[in-house]
Amino acid sequence: MNELSAQLHFAEHRLQEVALAFMALVYLTRVLWFLRHKAGGERQPTTARDPKARRRGILYSWATVAMPWAMESTRRMPFFYVQFVLFHLGVTAAITLSFLIPYGPGVLESSALVLVFQVLIWAAFAVGVLRLARRIRNPYIRAISSPDDFFAVFLLTVWFFFAALSVPNDVSGGEGILLTYFWLTAFFLVYVPFSKISHYLYYPFTRYYLGKSLGYRGVYPVYRVQGS
Amino acid sequence: MSTTEKQTRSWKAERVLDGMGKKLSRQITGSLVACVHCGMCTESCHYVLANPGDPTYAPAYKADKIRRLFKRHHDWTGKVFPWWVKAGSVYTDEELEELKDIVFGRCTNCRRCTFSCPMGVDLATFNRMARGLLVSVGIMPEGVAVVSKDQWETGNQMGVLKEDYLETLEWMEEELQDELDDPTVSIPVDQPDCDVVYSINPREVKYDPRTISDAAKIFHVAREKWTMASEGWDMTNFGLFSGDDALGGSVASRLYEKVNELRGKTLVISECGHGFRSTRCEGPNWAKFDVPFVMESSIFTMLRYIKEGRIKVDKSKNPKPVTYHDSCNFARSCGITEEPRELLHLVCEDVREMYPNRAENYCCTGGGGAMSMSEYTRERLKSGVVKANQLEATGAEVVVTSCHNCVDGLTDVIRHYKLGMEVTQLVNLVANALVIEGKPAHAVVPGLEVEAGSNAQA
Repeated sequence: MNELSAQLHFAEHRLQEVALAFMALVYLTRVLWFLRHKAGGERQPTTARDPKARRRGILYSWATVAMPWAMESTRRMPFFYVQFVLFHLGVTAAITLSFLIPYGPGVLESSALVLVFQVLIWAAFAVGVLRLARRIRNPYIRAISSPDDFFAVFLLTVWFFFAALSVPNDVSGGEGILLTYFWLTAFFLVYVPFSKISHYLYYPFTRYYLGKSLGYRGVYPVYRVQGS
Repeated sequence: MSTTEKQTRSWKAERVLDGMGKKLSRQITGSLVACVHCGMCTESCHYVLANPGDPTYAPAYKADKIRRLFKRHHDWTGKVFPWWVKAGSVYTDEELEELKDIVFGRCTNCRRCTFSCPMGVDLATFNRMARGLLVSVGIMPEGVAVVSKDQWETGNQMGVLKEDYLETLEWMEEELQDELDDPTVSIPVDQPDCDVVYSINPREVKYDPRTISDAAKIFHVAREKWTMASEGWDMTNFGLFSGDDALGGSVASRLYEKVNELRGKTLVISECGHGFRSTRCEGPNWAKFDVPFVMESSIFTMLRYIKEGRIKVDKSKNPKPVTYHDSCNFARSCGITEEPRELLHLVCEDVREMYPNRAENYCCTGGGGAMSMSEYTRERLKSGVVKANQLEATGAEVVVTSCHNCVDGLTDVIRHYKLGMEVTQLVNLVANALVIEGKPAHAVVPGLEVEAGSNAQA
């Protein structure tokens, strides 16, 4: 392993720490802002048969993301669902990488693990390219897209590209790739709370309230019969 | 927001934006911030399917017309860099009129898209909020204004006068006495201490009184101690469609207070999706009223009568092939999908499922009060092609539904697409299948365990 330059050391450590702290602070503010809104409630008795329906509804609602058969949209577009899984696995891998390189570089000495990370992140990169093309070409998606939507996909795709190249954590050929990856990661952390990428912050809340309501009303879990 | 910007905004636009801030609950805020514009909802909407190639019908596109206001006035990125997230405001009454055409004319609040959204965005809920904000400044389709006014003034959404209502009940009572050749058959009104207070949709009085006599026949054969109310009998609630919670609370209270006054034990709600949802589920919240009696759909009442052996039915009396259309409000907002089917199988010989069904069924096109908005009829009927194809594929001759709005919506679609099908309700089929003996039997039907009012309030 070659010695890191001061620049790369800063990008891997202090820069990330500051960016992470900033993101955490902004997220906390955001969650508090969200919780300031009234929660709403239901006075009427449940219309569900199961007395634990509210809890079941919440769990079902949260689990929907892992049940592609539960929604008509994911049944109709299985390839899109596979893309979704790959994309988010890639995000997880690329984020994990940003911690492994500075704090646990030894882990990346395993060539098998390096391969796993590379496969996941390259797959996510490919999905990013497909998603960008879809957003530009599909008239339905283009009509609802904002500059933030385009930029978010573009940013992540570029980030995947540099993350995939950074996986071996090898600076023998120069530090450019790693420096770019860590500066992009820092930018990503700072930008995310202001962009649609922050959807994962809201996801648990949105699905919680939907599941709570639809569970209480006996709608969730959705009952389907074969062929429907 | 700058002072200049405020000054250039119309009074109505200002009021709508102020109102939005007060309406934002966690549920609505979550739905407004969480959309990632993935487009998964697009093909769930019958308007989209009927208008291929036109992205302006897509649920996310329509939602963004409301969301842009939220972003501009309540979301930090939208406040600072509105162009970056397509945030925007409203300034003129004309812009509010355009919004009206979207929230009333291009969405029936059927909630189907919610079930296809990975993020759990509930467009129907904030679309209703937007409707309510527009209604609060007098911007609404003519029909919504008329019906709301009727419901505020007369207590029922069709402006049926008390004397006309009571006359219709008397007329139905006489018809029933003739049909059963029994002068003791009655449609009681304002009888106190009854087990059942039966509430109906004013459409039944005005256009379909047979549903009243059919229900009376079933109550009579079941030897139910029941009554109807002379006031507060309308279980429909235009507040659900117009987004006006005050109207919703007022209409629901009128019904609850009357049942209390009569000391009724159970409020039975005749077959109506939005009526059931409004009375049973939303009404107590709008009215801020803890209802002390049981409320159930007449579907459950009829099913219970059969299971308890209080009525006997002969399914061979309904031999035509039938299919069941799930009302959006029943299936996607109240979880009632199996009981109507159970009842249908008990009273009909040939039941055919339509696909998709239950919580994934398509809207009849009459949801969200669309039947009262004649200015959007052309678009509504065009979107009906989805329902028409669904109906035709079943090969059924009769469409059964538990909703008066759906009866009208389906009838329009069937006429427009020349399907030649009949539309009826469960009450008609049950009444037709009744086995009327000298004395009603009380034997329990073997194999059918009583599960009275699983949607009831007790």
